[in-house]
Amino acid sequence: MAELVITNLRKSYGNVVAVADFNLEIADQEFVVLVGPSGCGKSTTLRMIAGLEDISGGTIAIGGRVVNELQPKDRDIAMVFQNYALYQHMTVYDNLAFGLRNRRVPETAIDEEIQRVSRILSIEPLLDRRPRQLSGGQQQRVALGRCIVRNPAVFLFDEPLSNLDAQLRAQMRLEIKELRQRVPTTAVFVTHDQVEAMTLGDRIVVMKDGLVQQVGTPLELYRRPRNRFVASFIGSPAMNFLEMRAETAGAGMVLTGLGLSLAIPSRFAPGLAARAGRSVVVGVRPQHARLGVASGDDHVGLSGRLMVTEQLGDEQLLAVRIGSGDFRLAGIDPERVFAPGETIAAAIAIENLHLFDSETGAALR
Amino acid sequence: MTRASRVPAERSKGFFEALAPGGRRMLFGLAAIGVCLIFAFPVFWLVLTALRPGYAVYYVHRGTDFTLDNFLEVIVQEAVLKGMFNSFMISTLATVISLGVTVTSGYMLSRFKGPIPNTWFSLIYVFRCVPYVSWVLPLYFVTQSLGIFDTYWGLLLPHVAVHICFFSWIMKGFFDGIDPSMEYAAMIDGCSRWGAFWRVAMPAAIPGLTALAILCWLYTWNEFLFALILTSHQTQILTVVMAQFVHELGMDWHLMSATGVLALGPALIVTIFGQKYVIRGLKV
Repeated sequence: MAELVITNLRKSYGNVVAVADFNLEIADQEFVVLVGPSGCGKSTTLRMIAGLEDISGGTIAIGGRVVNELQPKDRDIAMVFQNYALYQHMTVYDNLAFGLRNRRVPETAIDEEIQRVSRILSIEPLLDRRPRQLSGGQQQRVALGRCIVRNPAVFLFDEPLSNLDAQLRAQMRLEIKELRQRVPTTAVFVTHDQVEAMTLGDRIVVMKDGLVQQVGTPLELYRRPRNRFVASFIGSPAMNFLEMRAETAGAGMVLTGLGLSLAIPSRFAPGLAARAGRSVVVGVRPQHARLGVASGDDHVGLSGRLMVTEQLGDEQLLAVRIGSGDFRLAGIDPERVFAPGETIAAAIAIENLHLFDSETGAALR
Repeated sequence: MTRASRVPAERSKGFFEALAPGGRRMLFGLAAIGVCLIFAFPVFWLVLTALRPGYAVYYVHRGTDFTLDNFLEVIVQEAVLKGMFNSFMISTLATVISLGVTVTSGYMLSRFKGPIPNTWFSLIYVFRCVPYVSWVLPLYFVTQSLGIFDTYWGLLLPHVAVHICFFSWIMKGFFDGIDPSMEYAAMIDGCSRWGAFWRVAMPAAIPGLTALAILCWLYTWNEFLFALILTSHQTQILTVVMAQFVHELGMDWHLMSATGVLALGPALIVTIFGQKYVIRGLKV
């Protein structure tokens, strides 16, 4: 049981900065997900926590003890790897026992612990097999088991679900979540999949190009993305972005461009007035656009030509051409029939609009 | 009028596709037999010569005399016995020593980056580019001046050097095929860097190691040039002893062949025993 405190963590390879000024405090038993596109520095950060990668600057403290100079084995951590990393020449039992034997734990205690953990993960029938003889899901469960038997202060997960097929991934996600309830431990989970991040994390750290973009709970990230990158990364289908121009119109503002004109009363975006005459990016989640004409000053309307519909069974997705780009709508009644090329009108509550600076990408409210 | 439907023109086929499956198989079979014969014939001729009395070797195709006397004659010669012992010792020692070095050097080349591995890699590369024959004379002088000429070390060290240059490369390939995260897991599980190599990477590399051991052993067992130049009477190995059946009084082809057949034995055993490891190892 331990908290993990990372201060000003930095990693560079020559002139290339992989991780810049990473700060994070993870509470005891908290489950934090690092998410971002490949090359964003999330795995490097995890490997630095594990001690597999040297630190260029900053400190990492586990349970109040700075571990910068400690070997991986002395950091009291356990790690699950993307490709499971089971010892191929050992049985599952020996894989689980390996770490404990290195610590000179008596065999009877090891056996008890392995029996307990294999019951939790239902891998009892597999104990005599070799990793090669197991399916991907079983191997991943053994890899989890190898971490749990050690009873470490911190769990580290390096994209553990990426090698599994979609169905198994969804199932393992549930299992990891359930496991958290049974074995509550501080954990850092790295993934490039925003669904995994949203479903598993108590808090999520979104990274890009070695920089932390935003840290927050899943809902905070979804509702209040701090910049355009976070907004586009979190949520599925991805947020729509419209490049528009802010202008003063009477008491409020109006956003124009792409053949649209969106009236924004000043009470919704007090900061917008300062941007008059400049361009802003409007973000709309596909789920927030409703079919129909906007009414009232708390909604804005837009319309475009229907390009494609995608039937998902419980909903339909529409792609509507606005300007030169596609605007996507989600959550449309699956029974409803559309003709290709028909004009679609949609209404969006102004409180659901996201506004970003078109140069820096920073959120304007 | 109905339009005649056009039959698509037969695509022209290669010679093999034009054959019936049975014919194709037969052709491949014949080709395989042909290749095998080409390789087997010298061995067959060697065995045949070894079984002929001395006076009949030049007329192998005519006479019908066969004898095992040649084997009895060479097996009691001290030089042959000693050569066999030396060959065995040097092959085995060279294999053990070079494996110790190639495994660690291959592992370093596979897992570490930086000036030391890079220099090592370039050195190996340069040495591989130097024609093998051109090493012999300098090595002669080096072994002379070190006082190890005609000793085990005098032959072992050059062999180990050659093995390192040739096999570090292959060993690197084996380790490249082994997922490094297994070693990271071991390091987190309580091993040192060295422990992770020794307890996790090494066991995973066993098939490759076995293949390499066999290749090393056979290489030294069959080697002739170094052995000829770098030894005198003390540490002659079997290949050199064999060559000495050609002397100023004539050529004892029958004795040479008999020794050759004797030399084939251990190599054959090693090959047959190790074949599956070599194939599995080189496939990695």
